[in-house]
Amino acid sequence: MIEIPSIMAIILPLFGAFLTPIVAFVSWRFGVKRQICGWFAVAIIVATLAIVASMIPAVLEGRILIYELGRAPPLGINLVVDGLSLLMALMIAGVGSLVAVYSITYMQHHTRLDLYYALLLLIITGMMGAVLTGDIFNLYVFLEITCVSAYALVAFERRWESIEASIKYLIIGSLGTSFLLLGIALMYGGFGTLNIAHIADLTRRLTGPTPILGLALSLFVAGFCVKAAVVPFHSWLADAHPAAPTPISAFLSGVFVAIGAYGMLRVVYVMFGTLAIGPLLAALGLASMVLGALMALVQRDIKRLIAYSTISQMGYIFFSIGLGTEMGIQGGLFHLLNNAIMKALLFMCAGVIIYRIARRNLDEMGGLGRCMPVTAAAFAIGALATAGVPPLNGFASKWMIYMARVEAGGLNLVAVGVAVLISAMTLAYLLKAFASIFLGQRPKHLENVKEAPPLMLLPICLLAALCILLGVLPQLGVGLARPAQEAAMQIDNYVGSVLGGV
Amino acid sequence: MAGMTTIVRTISRLLFPFMFLFGVYVLIHGHLTPGGGFQGGVIIAASVVMLWLAYGLAQMPIGFKLFRTEVLEAIGGLTIVAVGVVGLVVGAGILGRVLPLGTLGNLFSAGNLPLLNIAVGIKVTAGLILIFYAMLRKIAWDEK
Amino acid sequence: MSLNYVVAMLLIALGLYCLLLKRNLIKMIIGLGVMTDGIHLFLTSLGYREGGIAAIVTGEMLENTAGFATQAVDPIPQALVLTSIVINICIIAFALSLAVWVYRHYGTLDPSEIRRLRE
Repeated sequence: MIEIPSIMAIILPLFGAFLTPIVAFVSWRFGVKRQICGWFAVAIIVATLAIVASMIPAVLEGRILIYELGRAPPLGINLVVDGLSLLMALMIAGVGSLVAVYSITYMQHHTRLDLYYALLLLIITGMMGAVLTGDIFNLYVFLEITCVSAYALVAFERRWESIEASIKYLIIGSLGTSFLLLGIALMYGGFGTLNIAHIADLTRRLTGPTPILGLALSLFVAGFCVKAAVVPFHSWLADAHPAAPTPISAFLSGVFVAIGAYGMLRVVYVMFGTLAIGPLLAALGLASMVLGALMALVQRDIKRLIAYSTISQMGYIFFSIGLGTEMGIQGGLFHLLNNAIMKALLFMCAGVIIYRIARRNLDEMGGLGRCMPVTAAAFAIGALATAGVPPLNGFASKWMIYMARVEAGGLNLVAVGVAVLISAMTLAYLLKAFASIFLGQRPKHLENVKEAPPLMLLPICLLAALCILLGVLPQLGVGLARPAQEAAMQIDNYVGSVLGGV
Repeated sequence: MAGMTTIVRTISRLLFPFMFLFGVYVLIHGHLTPGGGFQGGVIIAASVVMLWLAYGLAQMPIGFKLFRTEVLEAIGGLTIVAVGVVGLVVGAGILGRVLPLGTLGNLFSAGNLPLLNIAVGIKVTAGLILIFYAMLRKIAWDEK
Repeated sequence: MSLNYVVAMLLIALGLYCLLLKRNLIKMIIGLGVMTDGIHLFLTSLGYREGGIAAIVTGEMLENTAGFATQAVDPIPQALVLTSIVINICIIAFALSLAVWVYRHYGTLDPSEIRRLRE
């Protein structure tokens, strides 16, 4: 029975997504309120979170849960839950449920809410499938489910801004997934199998890199870099994430980009273990760190500013993963978790402001701190955590990243210097945003602004509390990040348990 | 979207039942011959879309309800998941075989496969019809 | 069957060219379709076998399973391509409907003019 949770975590949101139009139909027939769709989605996602959480004890013991569909691997498709998959699944379901709660109030004036929640459930299905599967083509299919739902959600409001952002995102995103498909085709041509563990087993037996392997590797790296919005493939993010409805921005910016880092770890470190592209990843990470922060400094739009900050934080994660040491990958994964919390928090605070005053330009805001103190405090916590100020969670993970680089020594010290500088810049632009929203003179048109509705404050307060909790007790986050790092690095263990000694 | 000439309309009206029937044939023989739910569904949807193109949205000879089609699509998806979960509950694994295998070559054979094919067929038919409806309606709206 | 691979690579290159350099959204979307078709052709060619038979089990095949396994073409790439085609249909349908919306908002399909976000 222990293997069943992994498949249920994929099936349940899928089931919910198909059921949402029927729920809407029934509620329309019997005159129930339209919010019923939202509560239904919340129930489904929380149940998914519970299913994922039920796998924590077994995985923390160091076991790898494998569910076989049909035949045993490498013949059949299988789902593999190890520390890395579990960390990702927890992030997806956790942030997903908060986003769903937040959406109930934020989206209440929109039409076609059943489609909105169906797409939200589909995006969660796709991401769950992508992180839990052990088959590379399956990963591609689930990734496409995620991406198509994301394109549709970005365009959901159908204003000119969302349409333009969505078409850009679609073109760049499909290019990325086409690269992945071509890479998968090359791997199938070269090794005749699609199972990640089996491919890893076969590549380790090769004596040296072959041209096909190199080509496939570069295609995979490019494809996942597009998903993670790392320089030079970052341009879609700054358009797409702000254009989506704010709860979706929080989900995309917090969790969706993490799938790129997950793909890097699973594909690059497990499948291509022998080939070293760490320095390349670190360089790309450093570049996007710098570029994201520089671009964020000049933004006047609150959501664009946070979106550029996401690019910068993804840079930190790649910078850390690229090091390839235990400490580096652990720090990167911890920062991935923290980034999900901080970005969701920042976007949700921005969403509250947009919900209340219907404006996004920083120049038109001011003095809101007195009328929405809770939101202001939460935004401040999110901003300080993102900048890496102790004792918040961003500090803990950034400290690990710096320490890992300092241990490696040499030129890394310069890179650490740059990273610290970028942290200061992060503080600068986020505090600038904070000051122009919450401090100073309140303009005339903002006289009667009220604090956020309780259903929107609930996820915000939870996320802010998590920021502080993980900052004061970083061992909680590291306790999740360490099994993930071990799962990513102990390839023998992964291959052995999946193939079962074949 | 104005319709086309009488010749096109008459021919597409005559062709419609045959195309529809062929789609159903491809769909329910999915486990025996090349084809299956997706292909059959595409043919069925194509027959409906052909009528739309010939007649225009306003003068459609067969009825169409947007919301019902959406619910139909959802039902198709639900059936797939339900068949999968039944396999899980019975103990055969997700999408595992529950029904008897039967003899090779019979229409009622191959366990759950015909059921899955029909579910996929419903979903694909409804989905493609919805895609074309959305586009045709958008174009019709723009022309006004 | 090296011709297959050459054609597949040509299709991919052509699709990439269309996608990246054409100044019309519809043509770019067509380029996306052509590129994916090239990848599909590449995948199907991987499973090709000289003089092979279709991987469909009929009555006589059941009696001669070993012969079937050596004669039939590899069915896995075909299944993969079928899945990928379905995904591609969704993406292209969605992209085309977005193009209709873009035309409604901007009155043009030229991507160099669809850049209000940058201003």
